[in-house]
Amino acid sequence: MSVSLRCVEASDLLLPGSLPEALAMMAEPEPPTPLAGGTDLMVQCEAGARKPPARLLSLKQLPELKGIDEADDTIRIGAGATHWQIRNHADVKVGLPGLVEAVSMVGGRQIQTMGTIGGSLANGSPAGDIAPYLLIADAVVEVASIEGTRQIPIRNFLIDYRKIDLKPNELIVAVTCKVLPEGAKEGWRKLGPRAAQAISKIMGNYRGKIVDGVIESFAVSLGSVAPTAIRLPEVEAFLVGKPLSEETIAEAERLASASVKPISDIRSTAEYRKWVAGRLVRGFLTSFTKGNEGSEGSEGCES
Amino acid sequence: MNPETERTWIINGEKMSVTFPPGRRLLDVLREDLKLTGTKEGCGEGECGACTVIVDGELIVSCLLAAGQVPDGAEIMTVEGLEKTEGGRLLQASYVEKGAAQCGFCIPGMIMSSYHLLSRGEPLSQPIIREAHAGNICRCTGYEKIMEAVSAAAEHWPKSEAKS
Ligand SMILES: Cc1cc2nc3c(=O)[nH]c(=O)nc-3n(C[C@H](O)[C@H](O)[C@H](O)COP(=O)(O)OP(=O)(O)OC[C@H]3O[C@@H](n4cnc5c(N)ncnc54)[C@H](O)[C@@H]3O)c2cc1C
Ligand code: FES
Ligand code: FES
Repeated sequence: MSVSLRCVEASDLLLPGSLPEALAMMAEPEPPTPLAGGTDLMVQCEAGARKPPARLLSLKQLPELKGIDEADDTIRIGAGATHWQIRNHADVKVGLPGLVEAVSMVGGRQIQTMGTIGGSLANGSPAGDIAPYLLIADAVVEVASIEGTRQIPIRNFLIDYRKIDLKPNELIVAVTCKVLPEGAKEGWRKLGPRAAQAISKIMGNYRGKIVDGVIESFAVSLGSVAPTAIRLPEVEAFLVGKPLSEETIAEAERLASASVKPISDIRSTAEYRKWVAGRLVRGFLTSFTKGNEGSEGSEGCES
Repeated sequence: MNPETERTWIINGEKMSVTFPPGRRLLDVLREDLKLTGTKEGCGEGECGACTVIVDGELIVSCLLAAGQVPDGAEIMTVEGLEKTEGGRLLQASYVEKGAAQCGFCIPGMIMSSYHLLSRGEPLSQPIIREAHAGNICRCTGYEKIMEAVSAAAEHWPKSEAKS
């Protein structure tokens, strides 16, 4: 059978045995391209959206990127942790329930088994389902090169459309999230054409605490409404200290719609996304009045 | 650049050695180098699941895996290995009995997802069975008969069939 070159078949593949070895390879004048689960990179190369790199550096086998560790009020997740590992980790289930929900919606079982949190972050897609959660969990991204380690708050890490604060010689090593504080609640909602294997039209996360009907804290983030996932600072600032009333909810909805500047694209229109941004915030706040647990879940919804 | 890589894997219980460029997709190594053509290519982009196989107990799509990332000694199970296991034979019979296959193109991947789910021996429910097949697309059956086949096989699943 004649064999044509497919995907990254012409690329060389480096298989370092440890993180220091990998960082040394990344320090070479023409650094190789990291390859973790391949669920973005292999697809982009196969589809012709990306030129196959001359050299790939496999991260899969690096022990240093695999761990998930809890410490005080944070959980540190290795960049090589897969969606499936995150989803099934006992500490993550308790401390970061919204992350469990978010990774559970990524692709099907196979993609969850292969795809990593580091790959999601590095891919930098504004439609990615993980970055909006990391924003409400005040995550810090740890990147490393042979020169040392940098700790970058997620807000600063996401610079612009597919642009992240990562130098060509750096690897993402871990992401550290603040666990859900005592008495607080978080949740998540994704709107796409269908539940599994679908890119979001818009998605959002919240984390909030309401004590005796008054909003003590409220963080809300949205994906697919701007060049990167974003928090909604105007909405958050407005909400703190307010009673959880219909007036408050209506004003938060209005502010959310007004503060986002989405684009129209193949998956949805700008008007629809503005409207939904407001509706998502309303839904998040209303979930407190109903007193239900955790997430709003996912909804298939045609625009 | 791109020297050939040699790997020895246990494929469907048999030791096999193969040489390939390390960036070659596992799918191509299986189908073209090892002539294990049961595994199918649908989309080549991770969407359809026709190329699903099990590598060291993990369910993966072989179109997105550079074969050089699969280490020496790895255990790979493809659709050809199903009939070597009691659970696999049970699943095949169940798919046939329930009329779960029409054109059949999705089935080599679909049934690997079924096998992977059932061989884990964890508690099952209809939502769990459905979600376990969410990464496999079938354009013919509407999935109902596939779900019936999996549920029926689950009822008689051999106790001995632990990890794949
Ligand atoms: C069928 C299908 C469905 C999908 N559904 C969803 C979905 O619903 N929601 C969603 O958010 N995503 C989805 N995705 C996208 C994808 O699964 C995720 O973005 C994924 O987690 C990427 O991780 P990876 O390990 O596979 O990355 P890879 O493809 O290996 O890498 C992606 C990019 O990140 C770089 N990279 C990877 N790891 C590191 C690191 N540690 N340091 C520096 N750079 C690194 C690579 O060089 C590459 O540029 C889907 C993909 C497929 C194929
Ligand atoms: S061919 Fe691999 S998922 Fe479609
Ligand atoms: S039987 Fe034809 S695609 Fe599933």
